[in-house]
Amino acid sequence: MQKRFGLTLFAGMAILVAACGPGAASTAPSAPASVAPPSEAASEAPSTEPSAALTPIKVGVVTDVGQLEDKSFNQSSNEGALAAAEATGGTHDVIVTQAIGDYAANIQTFIDADFDVIVTVGFLIGTDTAIAAKANPDIKFVGVDQGVCVDAEGVPDPTFACAGDAATLIPNYQGIVFAEAQPGYLAGIVAASLSKTGTIGAVGGTNVPAVVNYWRGYENGAKSVNADIEVLYQETDPNPSVGFNDQAKGRAIAGQFIGQDADVLFQIAGLTGVGVLEAACDANLVGIGVDVDQAVSLPNLAKCIVTSAEKKLKDTVQAVVTSVASDTFQAGTVVYDAASTPPAIGLSDYHDNAALITPEIQALLDTALDGLKAGTLDPCSPTKCTVSGT
Amino acid sequence: MEVLFDIPILGFVLQFIAYLIEAVTTTNLAPQTLQLATPIALGALCGIMNERSGIVNIGIEGMMLTAAFVGFMVAMLVHEAMPQSEPTAIFGFTPALVIGILAAIGAGMLVSALHAWLCVTVRADQIISGTVINIIALGLTGYLNRLIQPTGSAGTLDPFRPPEFLVDLPVVGWIFRMFLAVGPITMSVIVFVIILQILLFRSRWGLRTRAVGEHPRAADTVGIDVLKLRYRNVILGGIFAGLAGAWLTLEFNQSFQNGMTANRGFIALAAVIFGRWTPIGAFGGALLFMFSEALGIAIRSNPPEGDLGVFLSGIQAAYPSLYNNAFGAMPYLLTLIVLAGVVGRSVAPAAVGRPYVKEGAS
Repeated sequence: MQKRFGLTLFAGMAILVAACGPGAASTAPSAPASVAPPSEAASEAPSTEPSAALTPIKVGVVTDVGQLEDKSFNQSSNEGALAAAEATGGTHDVIVTQAIGDYAANIQTFIDADFDVIVTVGFLIGTDTAIAAKANPDIKFVGVDQGVCVDAEGVPDPTFACAGDAATLIPNYQGIVFAEAQPGYLAGIVAASLSKTGTIGAVGGTNVPAVVNYWRGYENGAKSVNADIEVLYQETDPNPSVGFNDQAKGRAIAGQFIGQDADVLFQIAGLTGVGVLEAACDANLVGIGVDVDQAVSLPNLAKCIVTSAEKKLKDTVQAVVTSVASDTFQAGTVVYDAASTPPAIGLSDYHDNAALITPEIQALLDTALDGLKAGTLDPCSPTKCTVSGT
Repeated sequence: MEVLFDIPILGFVLQFIAYLIEAVTTTNLAPQTLQLATPIALGALCGIMNERSGIVNIGIEGMMLTAAFVGFMVAMLVHEAMPQSEPTAIFGFTPALVIGILAAIGAGMLVSALHAWLCVTVRADQIISGTVINIIALGLTGYLNRLIQPTGSAGTLDPFRPPEFLVDLPVVGWIFRMFLAVGPITMSVIVFVIILQILLFRSRWGLRTRAVGEHPRAADTVGIDVLKLRYRNVILGGIFAGLAGAWLTLEFNQSFQNGMTANRGFIALAAVIFGRWTPIGAFGGALLFMFSEALGIAIRSNPPEGDLGVFLSGIQAAYPSLYNNAFGAMPYLLTLIVLAGVVGRSVAPAAVGRPYVKEGAS
């Protein structure tokens, strides 16, 4: 029987390690949350002096399933929240969600610890955020990539009829929605202008609305430059935990596109997309990143990333969280696009590939951006921003 | 030929076959299949080494992931220490990549040694041991990856460039492309499969291993040290899991992501059963599985022409998510069909999963 001890010890260690790693989210942050001063905010001296007009706020971030260092979505949203908390002289903490079933519990952890603002990241966590916001009117909720859809009673509406006015029914909840089709459109202009073969590709993770918007915008943008261009697109996997995380499959799909003469590849697939950009690099082709400036987040692939279709997650989340401290918080679904201040979408810097973007291409981009800002250019036309495109 | 395509149903089948032939002979479908099958086949070889000697190993996923992580980190560090080294002309080997691969193999063997200790010496439940390895690997690599936040890379091994005249040969050119226009780890799989197949069924070591897996008591009575052989085989099996990990971060892709094995270790287990615990069978299973995945990618990005293409794009337009899901499910469906129809009953080695206790020992 003594020998059993080895396994018990080992299994215990495994649970411990899993808890320390990205596993078992709710255990790790609950401790710092209750002990109050989170080390991150405390140890890093705020670069800007807290403004006198702002009330110090306690900001909690609940990420989507995955990892904090996704070099994209979770990371930028969290950085925005952290920057806002520091600017007000407040504090910040984050919980990395491990399973979809933990959303509500993770939000509750921050509610119990009396946080002022809770930022939840991702489309899928929206329902739990709305429920928590309704039950805790004194706490402000910010949902990234969440359209707030409630029925007349202010209860999340699974039928998406959205009969209720979210802004009045849940006045403490703002859903941040980005117009992804707009940066997609700009990326499409770049891709079509750089393509020599007349074929370009885009690889999506899972066909969630954000991905489809990017893709259809890209397609319309490309066709605005060259009506005959062929735009290849493929969803990696209908299951998001695979679709956005399978680098090898991303590379395989990209390889297939390259075999069909695609010479510009746009990745809309999170970490799967890293494989797409690698394939573009190895074939000496051009890649376009997504969500954040990927030439910065993936330095060893920077040489072939001409630009990235950006959602300015950090700036936008920071602005919204700061609006709580300055009492200018706006409830309901708020769409952030090219016309927002600060601009919520755009193409990132060209870095070392600036030579590829000729003045002619830049002129096309500037015109399109002006059209998007003025609202005269619809990136979801002629192909609609739905999976079927009609 | 065109006339045949107009026959209802049969015409579809013929068009599909014509599409298959064209895709295999003119596109990179064949090399891509072999590449994608590599981690599956290597994982399966690890599984066979274990299960043939009577140890269940569901921890292949975790072993692969650990190896991918260790291999990548070591290669990156060495690369930073000596960035000037020129890659070799063939395969693009650099000292960093070689050391990285060796480190990955070492990591695979180390985790396997842990599994062997738990299963053979501790006599723990082998399923639990494997599960624990999977959990610990995911947690630990994820945690360390977060701590280190690597931004560099050691690059990747290059595919071999076979002479043009070979790959351009009509009819058989694609075979050369499939087996030669790939990287060294991918190429090595075929060699390993053949060697292991021969060793397992034609050598003294193979006979002993199978005896230990089928009837350890009998093996013990003829003087085979069951525990030692199990230890040795499980640890040697770790070499294959290590190579599979190295393939992920040093050959096919060039960076590490948390959980990047994406269930390949479990698909490898399916390939073991599919191939009735033989290396060649498992390799065939891995190829079939990944062929359907690669074909799914190919059909969706380059649909066949003619009536079949019209039919498929009709489905795609009317039911886009069904269309995509169907391709995602294809490898599994195909496996089910082949398992039920062709392979028949697949019987595991008799002593698999049962720790061996020497008579008289407690």
